[in-house]
Amino acid sequence: MSKRAPYPVSEPWPGSPKYWRDLEERGRLAQESAEQASASRGVNAPEFSKGHIETPPSDEAWQLSRRGLLGAMAATFAVVGAEGCRRPLERVVPYTKMPEDVIPGVPSHYTTVLQRRGDAVGLLVESHEGRPTKVEGNDQHPSSLGAADLVAQATILDLYDPERSTTPLKGAAASDWATFEADLSAKLAGYAADQGSRLRLLMPPTLSPTVLRMRAALAQRFPKTRVHTWAAVNDSNIREGARIALGAPMSSLNAYDRARVILSLDSDFLQTETANVRANKLFAGGRRMHSAKDSMSRLYVVEPERTTTGNSADHRLRLPAADIERYARALAVELSKNNVTLGDVATSAAKTTPPDGIPAKWLSAVAKDLAANRAKALIVVGSRQPPVVHALAHAMNSALGAVGATVNYAAVTDADELDAATDLKALTDAIAAKQVDALVIIGGNPVYDAPADLGFAEKLAAVPFSVHASLFVDETGEKCSWHVPLAHTYEAWGDARALDGTASVQQPLILPLYGGRSEIELLALLANAPEKSSHDAVVATSRSGVLAAHALANCAPTPDGNVECHDPSGKVVPVRSVDLAREWNRGLALGVLTRPAAPAAAPALRSADVAAALDKATPAGRVGPGSLEVTFAPCPKMVDGFHANNTWLQEMPDPVTKLVWDNAAILSPATAKALGVQNKDVVRIAVGDRAITSGVWIVPGQADNSIALKLGWGRKKAGRIGNGRGFDVYPLRTTQTLGFAVGAQVNKTGAEPYFFAQTQEADHTYNRPIAHEATIADYRQKPNFAELDSPPPRALPLWSQQDYSQGHQWGMTIDLNACTGCSACVVACMAENNVPVVGKLEVWRGREMHWIRLDRYWVEDPKLGATEEDPLAIHEPLMCVHCEEAPCENVCPVGATTHGPEGLNEMAYNRCIGTRYCGNNCPYKVRHFNYLNWHNDSVWKETGGLPESLQMQQNPNVTVRFRGVMEKCTYCVQRIQSAKIRSKREYKELKDGDIKTACQQTCPADAIVFGDVNDLNSQVSKLTRTDRRFGLLAELGTRPRTTYLGKVRNPNPEMA
Amino acid sequence: MAYYEPIIELGEAPLVQKGSTLAEVTDDIAGVTERPAPRGWWIVFGLALMFVGIFTVCVGYLFWRGVGVWGNTSPVFWAWDITNFVWWVGIGHAGTLISAILFIFRQKWRTAINRFAEAMTIFAVICALIFPGIHVGRPWLMYYVFPLPNQMTLWPNFKSPLLWDVFAVGTYFTVSLLFWYVGLIPDLATLRDRSMTKGRQMVYGFFALGWRGSNRHWRNYERAYLILAAISTPLVLSVHSVVSMDFATSVIPGWHTTIFPPYFVAGAIFSGFAMVETVLLIARTVFKLHRVVLMRHLELMNKFILFTSLLVGYAYSMEFFIAWYSGNRYEMAHFLHNRPAGPYWWAWVWMMVPNTLIPQLYWSKKMRTSIPVMFVVSIFVNIGMWFERFVIIVLSLNRDFLPSSWGYYRPTIIDVGTFTGTIGIFFAAFLLFMRWLPMVAMAEVKGTMPQADPHHGHRGKHAPHSEPIAAKGTLATEGAE
Repeated sequence: MSKRAPYPVSEPWPGSPKYWRDLEERGRLAQESAEQASASRGVNAPEFSKGHIETPPSDEAWQLSRRGLLGAMAATFAVVGAEGCRRPLERVVPYTKMPEDVIPGVPSHYTTVLQRRGDAVGLLVESHEGRPTKVEGNDQHPSSLGAADLVAQATILDLYDPERSTTPLKGAAASDWATFEADLSAKLAGYAADQGSRLRLLMPPTLSPTVLRMRAALAQRFPKTRVHTWAAVNDSNIREGARIALGAPMSSLNAYDRARVILSLDSDFLQTETANVRANKLFAGGRRMHSAKDSMSRLYVVEPERTTTGNSADHRLRLPAADIERYARALAVELSKNNVTLGDVATSAAKTTPPDGIPAKWLSAVAKDLAANRAKALIVVGSRQPPVVHALAHAMNSALGAVGATVNYAAVTDADELDAATDLKALTDAIAAKQVDALVIIGGNPVYDAPADLGFAEKLAAVPFSVHASLFVDETGEKCSWHVPLAHTYEAWGDARALDGTASVQQPLILPLYGGRSEIELLALLANAPEKSSHDAVVATSRSGVLAAHALANCAPTPDGNVECHDPSGKVVPVRSVDLAREWNRGLALGVLTRPAAPAAAPALRSADVAAALDKATPAGRVGPGSLEVTFAPCPKMVDGFHANNTWLQEMPDPVTKLVWDNAAILSPATAKALGVQNKDVVRIAVGDRAITSGVWIVPGQADNSIALKLGWGRKKAGRIGNGRGFDVYPLRTTQTLGFAVGAQVNKTGAEPYFFAQTQEADHTYNRPIAHEATIADYRQKPNFAELDSPPPRALPLWSQQDYSQGHQWGMTIDLNACTGCSACVVACMAENNVPVVGKLEVWRGREMHWIRLDRYWVEDPKLGATEEDPLAIHEPLMCVHCEEAPCENVCPVGATTHGPEGLNEMAYNRCIGTRYCGNNCPYKVRHFNYLNWHNDSVWKETGGLPESLQMQQNPNVTVRFRGVMEKCTYCVQRIQSAKIRSKREYKELKDGDIKTACQQTCPADAIVFGDVNDLNSQVSKLTRTDRRFGLLAELGTRPRTTYLGKVRNPNPEMA
Repeated sequence: MAYYEPIIELGEAPLVQKGSTLAEVTDDIAGVTERPAPRGWWIVFGLALMFVGIFTVCVGYLFWRGVGVWGNTSPVFWAWDITNFVWWVGIGHAGTLISAILFIFRQKWRTAINRFAEAMTIFAVICALIFPGIHVGRPWLMYYVFPLPNQMTLWPNFKSPLLWDVFAVGTYFTVSLLFWYVGLIPDLATLRDRSMTKGRQMVYGFFALGWRGSNRHWRNYERAYLILAAISTPLVLSVHSVVSMDFATSVIPGWHTTIFPPYFVAGAIFSGFAMVETVLLIARTVFKLHRVVLMRHLELMNKFILFTSLLVGYAYSMEFFIAWYSGNRYEMAHFLHNRPAGPYWWAWVWMMVPNTLIPQLYWSKKMRTSIPVMFVVSIFVNIGMWFERFVIIVLSLNRDFLPSSWGYYRPTIIDVGTFTGTIGIFFAAFLLFMRWLPMVAMAEVKGTMPQADPHHGHRGKHAPHSEPIAAKGTLATEGAE
């Protein structure tokens, strides 16, 4: 049976010539065309030649004609027969009309931009026949520099989430857009009377010039309407700090690559802070060691909980978040003793005493190190620290000469944005005062994530008319009088400015899957703006001078929002729309519409204001065994909870704890002992009269008396995947304690131990030579320290070796010195290679399928002051190392895994019968077995298999593996092959860098390098010849193709 | 079979209870298949069938959903499945050892138990072969392991020890089956001749291959039996050696060990004898075979168990010593830490105590001639040897080179059901065998009796039969209790 649908053959146009074989056929054709003509007049349906006229179909469907009955019987048999087939029969329908620029099988890439908190990341999205499948970083964009992080990678799955909101809801009843628009415009007409003073909007902070323009348009229509901003994870403290120190809410652009000494005060700048991708890239650049002669930066981290940044530190001090302000003040005092001129700031800072029990060197030696690296030092502060700490850091950076060297400032997109908690409180107060008739919430989920003391849910219920627009019918959506679906970033036009001011267009890749509209369109609806579609609005913005000003030479925006261009003599010339169109297209192609001019002159530091703020501020209360601290941080995966329904992120091991599908209350071993709790115990954590319960996880290196809580879990209305996962910690978070709260009480609840699942249970290397590291001094003494510890065997091989000297020989290096453990590669690999999700229970059994594992070991080293209670960390990404003498290949009875001519260890899924012998014999345990039909028989079991929308995400160039076969990293063989095909077609040599594996492409630290090891000039072969190189378990004689570069730590000798 | 004349000076005793006649032996053994089954047989058979049912349900579920219904995981890709396979293959060893090697060494005492042991071999190997068949991820493609000519010129990987396994166990099963059947032919003829119904006559007649007991038949039979014994003998050593290579040729600490082939063979004989004894003790009691299966046979088997227990104990200690002596950190971590002090320390204790300590009881003659003691010990050895395979497979895999990949394996209810199900299959097959086939080799036993002596009845001065023996009166030192 052909799987191809028959071509519909019809007469091309009426009266076209007919062809016949013989006269008999000619007669028949003539008769048929006569019958067709009568049928088209509705007379009869011709199915047989003359004399076999069939009864016309009647209205009753069950009254089948003879032929119809035969057809139905055939269909029944086909269906019954197909039941027994393993794979369902599908029709392949080719394009009959080729869409422009689409070649079936050749993916296209589009630039777009993803707004997140204070920064927008430029992306390049791969699309297969109109289906976006994979997100990659855009190397033209300053916030991406070619990389993306784990959340950005996972957004593609949010797009296809089958539980997205699909239709406007009035109350709980399904409605449609027309009804909504009618209802809304009727209501709006009523509000116009008093200039909209009883209409309020609530939105997350925005980076989009078009959204700001629409808000301005709204203000024109309803001058008294107020737009409030709220996001549970926000940069308000950073903005306030800059306002104190610089006079305006500027963004800091930190040059982590140029800094030689970096001090992070509770800032997880590599993972959860704004602009983390760029920070990771630059930070790795500042620590890259090509040889032992190079130098690298030094990172000090002071933080309460272990983070990716803390794990990358050379020196890490665990300190409760509440003590960090006092630490910063003491450091300022210490700096001024080291001839760093801080003036009255130092005097004001000296008001408090340093926190208890910190080693003296953490002030004296750190201050000395910073002072000795003037203009090469950098102090960064975490967004949960109060504004005064940020202001103090600005003062210290300025005094250290960092401004202009390691720190630059840029204007923020929305300078009028208020402090998030204050702004939201203004809204709830207005509701309480009965001043709000209508509330339109565009994006965000305040019922779930608003500060607990505001009682947002009750306040919302008191608003007569409320609208919620979001991707999901979430906790907020179900409480509003209207819910309307919002379009996903990849479905709608938009624009955004990056942290440094670079403007990019958010380009959609697909029409809205569920009929959602973008926030621009909703605002346009409210403001009754002339541009109804977001595309028109964004184009208009770009032409109105807001975006285009910098793009065209000799053009400048005018005060009335237009563009004025001048010829060289200064005469005004009209703006040619062809220039604008050209700039627009160039901007879309690059992913960058306009770049900011050279960094503006740094505003002068307002020392007096900083000193005054320091005088006024009172550091948080003391943390101690009787008065514990809880800290709130965005989850590296869920962020504020928005991504809770994302299976990839749910199953991503937390970079620090390696927990999946859950968060936990993190305690230090000493605190756990003092409280008498153990891992998995369920505790009640109370701050004042608010309390939550949470499972406990003990992490060495957590500050004593501090409990780390991750936001974004315990959702009640996230969807099938996210509902009830983990513990909701928002009930503890109030407007006053958005970052941390002191005075928590913890009791065991006595409930059954909570069921946690981890991907890695053993935390230590047990002195095995598997993750090599050295201090920079030792490295200079013994450059090949890594290989010396685990040399390859000297014994001769038993049989003749395969010749690998010809052709391409693929290989990879992973620089442990660059890897921060951020785990972006894991999600990138899942997206690229259709890696299934197995669910919490199966992860607990040990059956997770991630092709890359990010091994994380605790390192105890007395020389570096790393103890069992407070160890250092090392991350080691591990995927198939493609052994040249692969133990898995010998043992497969059917030869399903064999060596390719280009050095790849290849899996033939069709040949695999699933003896799992290869998995046993793999010393790295990087092979993963499809114990069940994961796509159908795990988290999606209840829906009868992977939902169709999620199937759209899958990469058509990678086989979706069936149950019972073994799988593992392929070095992205599909990318190798398509690059080879392309080079062959274009008669070009394959260049180094033409092939990037998915993990390499997304790695913000450039830790992963892939290429041809036979090409002596390729980056990978140069790296394999560096001194830090070692083969993991090379002493077994496996000759791995993936080799590692040992980690180098740069401790301060004076800290010892 | 020539008459076995005990050397009285060495303390030897006759192999069949004194004074037994040929007819009595035939009646005892053939009678079991002719009388209605005792109530005990039905109870045990019903129980066994229940487990067969459990097995069917478990395997059906396994095929429906996939190997994930078991507890196997990463890194423990093999667990109960291969543990059971090796355990059953091991049990299948005693049969061929008893029938072939002891035959070639003219150990005439084997005649009482060889049929039993051979049947056990067949059924144990069937149970063993089930596991490689069902443990694969895609059982419907199992035929890929056979070298079948095909258009794509795909060929199995002859480097893989799993493939060697397929051939080794397959050969062993075929030869064992042939050997068993050839030995059965004279006895099947006896059953045919005693048949009282047409049906029995037809069936036994068919399988007796027209045996008439002529001199020529006997000569060919003896020749064939000897040849098959000679073929089987190396198989006893080869099968478990090859099975051990599944592990020994790998790189995993705990598997990568040169001691494995002899150690596995010793272990196989050890567990095989224990299982023969377990089954034999039940059959001897239920079917009252005291005339043929004497305490002497049981004691000899116990001596074998003691001997192989020492071999196995030696292998265990040698693994420890070499791990320490080699200085290899992974070997040391496995043998010196993970086994005795790791998360599965209890499995290690279950291996060490029943296999090396409990059989030491057999240094005492009182112990090795006590039926209750030997029954309990044989059960312990069966359990201990199962745990030996569990320790080798699961404990080596759960913690290998990289601590990041370590994991803990937990069996599921389906694992338990599949395993106990094969025990049900084994006993069901065995009970059918005991019911329908002569469970002791009648012809061979008769060959060892005084009546088989060509001079029997006219030895010396043509004295009346049995007189010389009776006259000495010193032979009846032992008999059935």
